Order: sequence, then structure tokens, then C-alpha cells
Amino acid sequence: MKAEKMLAKLKDILSAERQAQLEKYASLKKVLNALRDEKKKLEKELASETDEAAQHEIASRLKVISKQRKKGLKVLHELKEERKRPNKKNP
Amino acid sequence: MLRKTFLPAIFLLLAYGFTVSADFKTITAGVAIFLFGMLALEEGFKTFTAGGLEKMLRAATNKLWKSMTFGVLTTTVMQSSSLVSVITISFLSAGLLELTSGIGIIFGANLGTTTGAWLVAGFGLKVNLSAYAMPMLVFGIVLVFQQTKSLKGAGYVLAGLGFLLLGIQYMKEGFDSVGQTIDLAEYAMTGYPGVLAFAGIGIAATVIMQSSHATLILILAALASQQISYENALALAIGSNVGTTITAIIASLGSSTDGKRLAVAHLIFNTVTGLLAIGGIYQLMAAVEWLSRHIGIAGDNYTLQLAVFHSLFNLLGIVVMLPLMSVLVKFLKKAIVAEEIEIERPIYLSGGPGDIRDAAVEAVRKESIRLYDLAAGVIVDGLSINRDVLESEEKVKRVVKKSTDVIDEDIDDLYERKLKALYGSIVEYVINSRGGYSDGRLKEELNRLRQAGQHVIEAVKGVKHLRKNLNRFMRSDNRFTMKEYNRLRRLIITVLRKIEATRMSASESKSALSLDHLKLEIEEKTREFGKGLDDLIRKECIDVQTATSLMNDISYCRETCWDLVEAGSVLFSAADLDETVAMRTITLSEDEIAEMMENPNGEAAR
Repeated sequence: MKAEKMLAKLKDILSAERQAQLEKYASLKKVLNALRDEKKKLEKELASETDEAAQHEIASRLKVISKQRKKGLKVLHELKEERKRPNKKNP
Repeated sequence: MLRKTFLPAIFLLLAYGFTVSADFKTITAGVAIFLFGMLALEEGFKTFTAGGLEKMLRAATNKLWKSMTFGVLTTTVMQSSSLVSVITISFLSAGLLELTSGIGIIFGANLGTTTGAWLVAGFGLKVNLSAYAMPMLVFGIVLVFQQTKSLKGAGYVLAGLGFLLLGIQYMKEGFDSVGQTIDLAEYAMTGYPGVLAFAGIGIAATVIMQSSHATLILILAALASQQISYENALALAIGSNVGTTITAIIASLGSSTDGKRLAVAHLIFNTVTGLLAIGGIYQLMAAVEWLSRHIGIAGDNYTLQLAVFHSLFNLLGIVVMLPLMSVLVKFLKKAIVAEEIEIERPIYLSGGPGDIRDAAVEAVRKESIRLYDLAAGVIVDGLSINRDVLESEEKVKRVVKKSTDVIDEDIDDLYERKLKALYGSIVEYVINSRGGYSDGRLKEELNRLRQAGQHVIEAVKGVKHLRKNLNRFMRSDNRFTMKEYNRLRRLIITVLRKIEATRMSASESKSALSLDHLKLEIEEKTREFGKGLDDLIRKECIDVQTATSLMNDISYCRETCWDLVEAGSVLFSAADLDETVAMRTITLSEDEIAEMMENPNGEAAR
């Protein structure tokens, strides 16, 4: 790798935009993990719950979490793709 | 005590008078008919004052001379200075007039009211007024029964004039008969004691009848039948001029500060004019005599001379008071200080915008949470439920079922004074802070907090709309309708409670996301309400009009709940800013919730 190319890569890594992107990725990942844990907890609760109304409540909570996670994973994927692309400001 | 005994005392006095003298009965019936005519006249003029007078008022009162002329003309047409002063107070309270213009109108009205004495003295006492009154009454009442608003108004005016003339005729006849049996003139008093005593009687009579016009007609009728002396009649006229201010004072009790100032200006003007007239009564009498000679009024025509006197002393009052107008306005503004409206003030935004950026965002968040808490209280009031419901653990269904009485809290007032004022402070602070921020996320956060405040305000507005029908149906017997409204109340309280629970568990970073589940619940419930409504119409449990009201209110309920959730998800997120931003990217929108409703089994859990 030429020195010029390496320098551009370094600039890209150190840029504020890049940092923000990384932070966003990490935060989203953290939230999605928390949702995954919540989902597991609710699934266990649903299995042991006998009351019909409570079951309905847990099931709909699970539905919402699934939808949220689906949306979040899509955003996470987009962020990952974006990270792979070289920074436009430092081509 | 005085208030309680006043009316029975008047009734007893009148009843005694009726048994003693038939003429007294005729005179008082004349006064009653006259006053009834005034009421009808007022009713009629109210029809036309709704839009027309307002426009005219703005154009006609931008200069002092214009407002005075306006006062003279309107009082001449309406034949009631009280009506003009009450209307002026109401316009002043509504902020349509300046205080100076208002005082100008009152000055003019005092002169305009003297035309009544001229009309009655010059024309009314010489002809049989009932001949004119009867057709007026007949045409007037026929018009009153018409559907068109303007025709109805014209009917009231015509009938009012008819009653006025009929009343005058009765008073005149009554005094004519009195003259044939007893001589009231024997009770005449001369000199200043007489002037003061009769001025007092004039004040008392006008305060009781609430109309200087009625008093003046009574004076003219008594004077024409020589039941009172000319000098005493003049003193009575002075008294009636002071007493007439009572109507404006009563009207000003519920008005704005400027309305109160105007009523006091009216009292000051008429009292000063009265004092001037009493002090210079003999000089004024000489002036009236001189003037009457020059305009061709006979020396023994005391009724017309009384009209001249009435105009002259009111004119004197204007001449004296006009140069003191600015002093009067200054005095009134100093003496009657505008009451400071108790509005909700911010407690976290006091440090000046943007001093420490993160702290500014936190201050706005805290103030917005305060706004939310105040709004939650107002919403619960609006639903006629005790505020304890938010903290209690009692089942929502039970609490709502128990809450059967309408809570008569002035929601509009609370909204204006507390919520709108506080939200205004938040918006102002955000606008002033935002400019200095280079960090886009902080700027965005401030905007989100401002939007959250807007959602809070919208939620209260929704309940304000909902409350109108809710209060109406809470008082009705239809249990089906009430059941439906109870469902709406239950949903809003449930949403408030669940947001509160989220707030309490805010230590969990995902708390804001858990409100998405509440969005789904709102959609499911409101859809269920709509379906239930169709069944109720089909089974004829509720009529179509009620169903329409309910449909609108279901929509208000849904919007209120959504607004609360949107506000709650911004305000009660304990996660740090990065995580909050991340959570917002995956929060479900209205469309996504709707999509879930349409496709309940479509989501494969991942």
C-alpha cells in the first residue's frame, strides 16, 4: 500500500463522521441486544403463563419487539455497508 | 343581610302602595312597562351589535371627538346610556377599544341620553302615545315570532319602543289622576336642602330602576301634572344622572381591568357633573331661562326647560372634564392596577438560555416533564376523574365506573394559564438556545423536546373536545352511551398509567421502546370501539346523532393517547443520548403499527 493511500485510510478512521458512525453502530447494537434479552425473557414468561389475557399481552409485546428488532437489524446492516464504503470526503 | 331584605322590602312597599292608591298602581305599572320596553329594545339591539357595531366602533372611535360623537349618536338612537356604557365596557374588555376612546363614548352618551328628555317633553307629553304604541307592539310581536334573526331583532326593537311609549302614557295618566286627588307639590322643598334631598331621591330611584331614562320620564310626567316643583325636578334629574352609573358599575364587576376603569370614569364624570350642577343650580336655572327665551320655549313650559337644563349641565360636565381627560386616564391606571393573571412560570429555565449546553437540554427536559405532569392532571380533571387515579393501584375500570359526577373544573382556564404559558416559555427558551449550538444532536434533542411539549398540548386539546360531549352524556340516562364514554376514559387513563410505569422503570435503557406496545394497544382498542359502535346503532341502543358524536370522540381519544405516548417516549428515556438516538431509529411509526394490525401474524420473531 502506498503511503498516500495509507494516509487517506488513517484520515478516514480518525474523521469525526466516521467516529459518529461507529458510535451509532455500537449504540444500536446495544439496544438490539437488550431487546433480544427482553424477548427471551418474555418467551419464557409466555410459556409459563396460564391467564389468557396475560398471554395476549405478552404475545403482543413479543410481536412489537420482533418488529422493532427487524427494523433495527435492517438499520444495523445499512450502517455496516456504509462503514465498508470509503469516506467520500477522503477518497 | 341588606341584600336579603332589600327585595322583600320593595315588594311589601309596592303591595302597600297598590292597596292604598290605584294611581300608584298605574304609575308603577307604567314604570314596569317602560323598563320591559328597555329590555326588549336591548334584546333587539343585541341582534344587530354582533358584527355591525364592532366594525363601526373601530372606525368611529380612533379619535376622541369621533368617540364622543359616536356616544351621542348611539345613545340617541338606542335611547339608553346604560346600554351604550355596558356595550362599551364589553368592547373594552374584549380589547377592541382604548380606555380613552371608551371614556369619550361615555362622555358622549351622557349628552346623547338628554335627547330622551327633549323627545318626551317636546312631543311625548302632548299627544296620546298609546295610539302609536299599540300598532308598534302588534307589528313588533308579529316580527318577534319570525325565524330570521334580523326580523326578530327588528321585532324586539319595535315592540320595545311600543312598550316604552305605553309605559310613558301610563305614567302620565297616573300622575294626572294623582293631581286630581292629592297635591304632592305640598312636599316640595326649597333651597339647597331641597336640592340635596331630591338629588338623593333621584339617585335612589335610578339605582332601583336601573334606568335614568325611566326616572327622567317619571320626573317629566310628575312635572307636567305639577306634582313636583320645577326646582325639585331639576334636582331629581341631577340625581338620576349620578344614579345611572350603577348599571355600568354592575356590568364592570365581571369585566377586565379596563372595563372597571371605565365604570369608575363614568362614576367620576357623572358625580363631578352632578356636583357642578348642584353647586351652580341657580346660575344654571338663569342660563336655562335665558336660553329658553332665545330658542322660543315659553316661560311656563317647565318640562322643555328641564330638557334644556339636562342638556346644559351634561354639556358643562364635558367642558370641564374634557381638558382633564389625560389626568383622569392617568389616575385610573394608577388607582385600578391590572390584576396579574396567575400563570404557570418555568422553574428550570431560569439560568438563561444556552449557558451550559448539556444543562440547557436537561433544563428543557425537566420543564417539559413538568408540563407533562400538569397536563396529565388537567386531562384527568377533564375526564371527570379524581387525580389520585394516577397513583392509585385500584383497577382503572372500577375507578372510571365510580366516577359518575362531572368535575366542573375550568379546563380552558387551566389550559391558558398553566399549560399554554409554560409551553410558551419552553418554546422561547429552545428558540433562544438553539442558535448557539454546534452539536447537531443537542439541537435535535431540543427540537424533539419542543415537539414533545407540542404533543402534550395537543393531548389536552383532544380532551377539551372530548369533554364537551362527555359532560353532556354523563348527565344523561342512556347507559349504552355512558358505557362507550367510560371505555374512552378507561383507555386514556390506562395510557397515562402505563406511561407512568415506564417512567418509573426508566432505569432500563429500553424503556422508551416499550411504549410502542402501548401504540398497538391504542390502535386495537379504538378499532374495537368503532366496531362496537356499529353494533349499537344496528341494535338501536343509540341514535345516529349520538353515534356521530361518539365517532368524533373516539378519534379525539385516539389522538390524545398517541400524543401522550409520543411525548412520553421523548421525555421518559433514561438512556444516554447515543442510545436514545439509536432507539428512535427503531421506534415504530403510526404506519408500521397499522401494518401490524392489518397483518397480525406476519412478523416472524427474530
